[in-house]
Amino acid sequence: MARLNGHLLRLPFYLLSVTMVVPFYWLLITVFKPPAELARTPPSFVPHSPTVANFYDAAWSPERVNPGHLQGIFQRFQVDFGFWRFLFNSVFITAAITAGALLICSLAAYVIAKHDIKGRRAIFLLIVASMMVPWQTTLIPNYVIMRNLGWLDSYAGYIVPALAKAFVLFFLVQFLQSVPDELIQAARVDGAGEWRIWWRIVLPLLRPALAAMSIFIVLAEWNNFLWPLIIVQSDEMANLPVALARLNSYYAGPDHQGAIMAGGLLASVPTIVFFLIFQRYFVRGIALSGLKG
Amino acid sequence: MANPAPLRSRLRRYGTSYTMLLPFLGLFAAFLIWPLANSLYLSFTTFDGINPAAFTGLDNFRDLAQDARFMHVLRNTSVYVVASVLLGTLLSLGLALAFNGSGWAHRVMRTVFFLPSVTSSIALMLMWKWVLFPSDVGLANTIVSRLGGTAVAWLATPGLTIPILVLMSVWGGMGYGMVLYVAGLGSIPQEYYEAAEIDGASAWRRFRHITLPLLRPVTTYVVVTGLIGAFQVFEAVYIVFRGTNNIGGVLDSGLMIVPYLYDQGFTHFKLGYASAIAWVLFLIIFVLSLVNLRLGRAMKEL
Repeated sequence: MARLNGHLLRLPFYLLSVTMVVPFYWLLITVFKPPAELARTPPSFVPHSPTVANFYDAAWSPERVNPGHLQGIFQRFQVDFGFWRFLFNSVFITAAITAGALLICSLAAYVIAKHDIKGRRAIFLLIVASMMVPWQTTLIPNYVIMRNLGWLDSYAGYIVPALAKAFVLFFLVQFLQSVPDELIQAARVDGAGEWRIWWRIVLPLLRPALAAMSIFIVLAEWNNFLWPLIIVQSDEMANLPVALARLNSYYAGPDHQGAIMAGGLLASVPTIVFFLIFQRYFVRGIALSGLKG
Repeated sequence: MANPAPLRSRLRRYGTSYTMLLPFLGLFAAFLIWPLANSLYLSFTTFDGINPAAFTGLDNFRDLAQDARFMHVLRNTSVYVVASVLLGTLLSLGLALAFNGSGWAHRVMRTVFFLPSVTSSIALMLMWKWVLFPSDVGLANTIVSRLGGTAVAWLATPGLTIPILVLMSVWGGMGYGMVLYVAGLGSIPQEYYEAAEIDGASAWRRFRHITLPLLRPVTTYVVVTGLIGAFQVFEAVYIVFRGTNNIGGVLDSGLMIVPYLYDQGFTHFKLGYASAIAWVLFLIIFVLSLVNLRLGRAMKEL
């Protein structure tokens, strides 16, 4: 009886899951439908003639019109390497920010958590307080700074302003405070320098915390849109979100949706894979960060 | 009195400490503290990005208070924020209660609901735009016509804009809240429930008097981070509703704080005015964060 009750109570949520699956299914079948099928009403729910033309259509050429054939996503952009360029940009920028932020923040977190220096409380307080600032508040001055430095439309403009992440530092300091001082003291007694201690002892100790933080950073940077939208002008420097947004504003017809959805699918695969690899750290990270305090 | 370490070695160690802090503090000052102060200054000026900023005192804020479009923005944002956070939190909790088991069915369900959180957000926006395509080739209109209705111009009907934005936000966010609630549920000791059952407490009373109070920190977290995120909505409006010369959809029906900031700053190059909008956003988020801190402390004292 209790079991039956439970299933009845769950029923609405099982129904809700249908609304989760259907849009994703729609995206997936769109990717594999040829343009003509996409423009047909009523739409098919199983592709009649599945194709990978939305990725690359060998029958399309810029010289002559070939009815029923449009550029695949890899043929859409007039930049070297086409769509690969945006995949590379997104991967490179995300990786650089993640690695750089973890290094810089772990260095500072080590000092704040384990060094007895003047002003560390004040510094920490300032950093924690800054977590209350929505980053959009600094959007306009940062845009002006990028322009004055000549960093518009550059990797530096993507990466450098994104490295000092207050929430990462805060999380790492919290984590380090639960690590006993003895390990570090022992290394000091053995004559290890501070940089060596950071590299050889602190970083390995922080590994689960770094893994958890890397998930948050990767997801946020991968999806970063407003900042690139402002600092990027050329196609060459666009990341995936900006490139896809541009594609979307150039082509509105239903027959183009196959290539657009193919681009969306390609943009989603890396984060899904990354998450699958690191997911156990993710749940632990949630448990460590938001819910303890 | 114990003699502290010799001065020179102490200096050397301190020197290293500050050197290690320097990369973070330098970047932090250059790209957060200074821009923050700068944007406060700019909010009191007229600035087009090219000519030097001209100080105009409180004019920007006075103009904002009389800007009918900005009032519309605040109204839109409030409705969107309240609806999406309320619905999102309730559904997150419901999902967590329904699917917190370790069996395969529950795990599959959790994965399904969590999927949008790890999918490219641009991809999701483009997907929605395509689902809501105005003619009969779109998914939403196909369903409507199967049910005997006529095609709806989903993205061009002002009254539908906010409901669609709320739907997109709840659809994409409830799985994340669910994961947080599942973690919270897992930390409630099973003995509490066993004791309550022995005392003859009904399922509802157990939920009301054990589960809900013990989940309060999670709820606070979900609600506050949800509010903060909702106030900053941009992408959904920009990608799904932007028209050729109107960023916020038909009749500004989806115009919110950050899209309006973008519109004023980077379409009309009124950077001073946009900075004033940025500071309104800052004040809202700041107050919410303080409430969060206050709540957190009050919880601990209880």
